[in-house]
Amino acid sequence: MTLLVALLGSTFFLSNAMKAEYSKKIKYTPDIVVTDTKAMRETSINREVVSNILAINGVSGALPRVYGSYYFTNADRIFTIVGVDEFETYADKNLNELLKSKSFEANSMLVSKELKELLKKSYYKDYFNFIRADGSLKKVTISDSFESEDTFHSKYMIVMSEQLAREIFSYTAYEATDIAVSVANRDEIGFIANKITTQLPNANVQLKEDLIVEYESLYNFKSGFFLTIFIISFFTYFIIIYDKMSGLSSEEKREVGVLKAIGWRVSDILNAKLYEGLLISLSAYILGIVLAFIYVYVLNAPLLKGIFLKNTELLQDYSLVFSVDYETLSLLFFLSVPLYIAATIIPSWRVATLEADEVMR
Amino acid sequence: MIEFRDVEKHYDNNVIALDKINFTLKEGEVVVLKGVSGSGKSSILSLIAGLSKPTSGEVIVDKKHISKLADHFACTYRRENIGFVFQKYNLIPTLSVKDNILLPLVPVNLKRSELESRLSEQLTLFNIEEKKDTLVKNLSGGEQQRVAIARANINAPKIILADEPTANLDEKLSLEFIEMIKKMKSQKRTIVIATHDPLFFNLDFVDRVLNIENGKLL
Repeated sequence: MTLLVALLGSTFFLSNAMKAEYSKKIKYTPDIVVTDTKAMRETSINREVVSNILAINGVSGALPRVYGSYYFTNADRIFTIVGVDEFETYADKNLNELLKSKSFEANSMLVSKELKELLKKSYYKDYFNFIRADGSLKKVTISDSFESEDTFHSKYMIVMSEQLAREIFSYTAYEATDIAVSVANRDEIGFIANKITTQLPNANVQLKEDLIVEYESLYNFKSGFFLTIFIISFFTYFIIIYDKMSGLSSEEKREVGVLKAIGWRVSDILNAKLYEGLLISLSAYILGIVLAFIYVYVLNAPLLKGIFLKNTELLQDYSLVFSVDYETLSLLFFLSVPLYIAATIIPSWRVATLEADEVMR
Repeated sequence: MIEFRDVEKHYDNNVIALDKINFTLKEGEVVVLKGVSGSGKSSILSLIAGLSKPTSGEVIVDKKHISKLADHFACTYRRENIGFVFQKYNLIPTLSVKDNILLPLVPVNLKRSELESRLSEQLTLFNIEEKKDTLVKNLSGGEQQRVAIARANINAPKIILADEPTANLDEKLSLEFIEMIKKMKSQKRTIVIATHDPLFFNLDFVDRVLNIENGKLL
């Protein structure tokens, strides 16, 4: 039972940690993100389509963004590079605050503290050599470091000028990674997305709501992978409960018979069973939660994390953020403690109400 | 002290365990119920202990109609009056010697000092002080038997019932058990022993031997 509580607890803790993380991420996600596709594969988008999008009624803003991932072979880790224009205001408030508080030169960059540490280990203390698409090197100075807020996608994050980012990704002056679209009236998001699709037939238009659904289905325990694990654990748990409810073993029956024979009343036996059930289930619950806590937050959920994160996210050493949901803990408590006690007491009561002679025969 | 009046005991599968049994036992008597397996000895002990009810007839102990007691009162009656020594000892293997002996007193809520004093008395009487913290599953058969007797004796019952108490013991341990019965007789207990062990039939402290065959007293 301890292991089962630990498995369910781990699933819930992992789900909570990821939910907390994606809630933070979604908060700053634009209403609509437009990317381009070629041969049904995502590619960079022409910045000039911004004017077409802005011409659609109801669109309050359209911003071409330059960002992407960079694989650092030596450390086998993936960095997230965000290109910024210091005169622009972004949807991500953390990014805006970072740009206000720290400045950087044209050929320099800001790196997250975790990335700075990682680079130090590879002897890059003040600068880093990026390898461009053509194989040539681009030396960029590290001007400062910052605390990364969102460890999910940006533990190893770099903020640099848009022009420098474009150079590293080998984008032309007309290319952008995507276009972030903001809409004045939330009710019109679907309508505007349709308009964009009509105007740009090759574009992939992703709504913030779709992203929420995608994350929900992946990380919420009520759906997706978590639901599968939840159902399997739940089913196993009920088999254990059913087995306990369906009757006592001959040894347990004999024990009840002996207690009756030496003068214990039915109420005395049930009291003892209540304490026994309470002790076992409460210990299993506490131990299970502690094990789950250690597995998820201390050991960083090996194996299980790999199932839910993409390879790219794993290569960013995503560490799970502590997040406790009291609803989850209560649910686990009610699943383990009262149900187990009932499953202990009911069969004992059935046996205890029989004649002791009959029980022991 | 104990009276059986026309007691019959039938089991569900139409087995007649006892057939019109009548006898009376006096306080402080040591009585041996002699008979082969299945003759009805254990059924008599169960009826005296109130563990089962007769199909017909009356079982009277200390002027109380045991056969008519509701389960709740039968338990209280057992707790206050009966000490039962079972053939297979029936100890709780996961508990220590001390805890097994104290089991009958758990529902009584005695003071700790009283519990300690009673426990110490039984441990000394049956010579098991050294094993008091050992789990009973780690004891030998003879030691388990001593624990079982101490448990039966701890609530100072008026009646001690022993069902085939030496069936799993060798002769030396059986003689030790007989010595323990002697000690309990000296405490003025009424003792009923159901056995087919010949060691019990010619003991000087046994007051009576009742022969049972096919559920009838001979």
